[in-house]
Amino acid sequence: MLAETAALLPFLVLFLHLCLSVFICGSFFFFRGAMFGGIALSWSALPLEVLEQDELRRRVHERGGEREVQFLFRDYAPILPVWHEGQLRLVTWGNRRRDSRRLPCTGWTWLATVEAGGWSRCDAEPIDIPATMGLENGVWYQVRQGIRGLLVRDEHGAARVYMICEPASYYYRVMTRSHWMPVLIGERF
Amino acid sequence: MGVPAAVGHLDADCFYISAERVRNTFLLGKPVGVLGNQGAFVIAKSYEMKAAGVKTGDPIWEAIVKCPHGVYLKRDFRWYEVLSRLMLDVVREFSPEVEYYSIDEFFFRVPSDSERSLQETAEVMRHRILQQVRVPVTVGIARSKTLAKLISDQAKPFGALALVDPEAERALLDRTAVQEICGIGERRAKRLAEYKVFTALDLALANRKLIRSLLTAVGEALWFELNGDPVLPLYSQRPPHKMLSRGGAIGKPSADFNYIWGWLVRSLERLIEELEYHRVCAGRLETWVMHYDGQVGVGKVELNGPTDRFDLLLEAARLGLRRAWLPRRTVARLNLVATHLQWPGSVQRGLFDPPAERAETLARLKREVNDRCGRFALRSGATLFVNEFYKDEAYSYEVCDVRGKICF
Repeated sequence: MLAETAALLPFLVLFLHLCLSVFICGSFFFFRGAMFGGIALSWSALPLEVLEQDELRRRVHERGGEREVQFLFRDYAPILPVWHEGQLRLVTWGNRRRDSRRLPCTGWTWLATVEAGGWSRCDAEPIDIPATMGLENGVWYQVRQGIRGLLVRDEHGAARVYMICEPASYYYRVMTRSHWMPVLIGERF
Repeated sequence: MGVPAAVGHLDADCFYISAERVRNTFLLGKPVGVLGNQGAFVIAKSYEMKAAGVKTGDPIWEAIVKCPHGVYLKRDFRWYEVLSRLMLDVVREFSPEVEYYSIDEFFFRVPSDSERSLQETAEVMRHRILQQVRVPVTVGIARSKTLAKLISDQAKPFGALALVDPEAERALLDRTAVQEICGIGERRAKRLAEYKVFTALDLALANRKLIRSLLTAVGEALWFELNGDPVLPLYSQRPPHKMLSRGGAIGKPSADFNYIWGWLVRSLERLIEELEYHRVCAGRLETWVMHYDGQVGVGKVELNGPTDRFDLLLEAARLGLRRAWLPRRTVARLNLVATHLQWPGSVQRGLFDPPAERAETLARLKREVNDRCGRFALRSGATLFVNEFYKDEAYSYEVCDVRGKICF
């Protein structure tokens, strides 16, 4: 009997961990599988002090003879540029590596969840993620201003950003074969 | 100083792409594709994307394999029309006779009293459009419309070339395949190949009567044009329409009656806008239904008398849909075509038409509200089943209702 209980212990711990996440941050919908892949921002759109950061060097790519910085969710340590308190900062994108036990281990959240107050217990702040292009299922498409995001702090006080998503429009679904799309600022696909 | 009689053809280079680059210089130099058909296909591509092997008409999932770093955009006909009309204004500064051929192509007659040589005219025009509209164009000038178009096709991109010397024309025609001539499709080219006509020069040197017997009067006109005899008219005003049509893809393919009906009513409202704009009435309404499996159904309804009234055309569309739609089949595209057009002044009213007063008051009210509050602000309740497309502002970018052009 004791041995059977011991075997079940890891599952019990995992279950409690999930319950805790839901309890703390309200009713999340966990995004799994292929999702919005990332963004690109033209080199000239980033301030010098941000460009000098080491972690940007390997994210620099060239397209059509112009440099751009790509922020991809598949990166080892995914980050996103955000406008926060009047400054452009680089912030960890979501919680893909499960560094936080409190926050959902994804990089996105539903607009409906945000509107329903699902993040209110986390003192989340709405922020803008500047972007010139978005990447979804291999399709790079133009973004005029940026994407809406949510800035939260994990249990260690570190800032993390979640991208806000909504159900994809028919056009977006055909173009990218994705059922979700990011909430764009001032435009809609 | 006079110049020989000549016709010019101005063609914007990758117009949709160039138009997008006007408002977003970030796209300059990058491989860019504009998507159509609800984002499924590449309908225009930049030279950079073309170099990567992407062709017009390629589905997006093939294009991203050929050009993974390409940037894909949604088309925006409203913006393209703005630039198209600006280009038209510039061309009119050079010539009083301009044909608005398509959204990115114009024919013009070079004024005989021009102080510039033909080559200078082509170069100055190209420069002026780049300066004022910021769209790169190619200008070709020749003795006829067909030759001018062939020249501008060959001089792309950002070319300016005037050719009126018969020897130079012959050299051009010799290196041009016959199917590159506007009006010669694959079927006609195959027909000509049986008579060893492969190049434009072969066609120009062929027996005129033979060409007429093979390609009818249309082919004969091309023969004259290729020989430097300008027989095709230049329409500085669009000739009256023989028919008007509105429709297209219905968003997602569907077999749901309400959804299909909603789309048909949307197309009908757009069609009535056109009838009112051109001040004509429809004598017959045709409903074309393109099913998802490729089958096409047509429902033709003769109206009691020519009309532009919503209530009468709605009933005709309902009957047309019933005739054209194969039961329970999924529909992909719908088109409404108004034919047998007549001026309203010469319309004989039907004996059994319902009174016009109420319908006319409603139509006037709808027009006034929409003029003030925006297109489709007031619309038929039947369109509520396709509400998502009215709510989606971006979708209206898909609607191409550019007026005054000769062809699409």
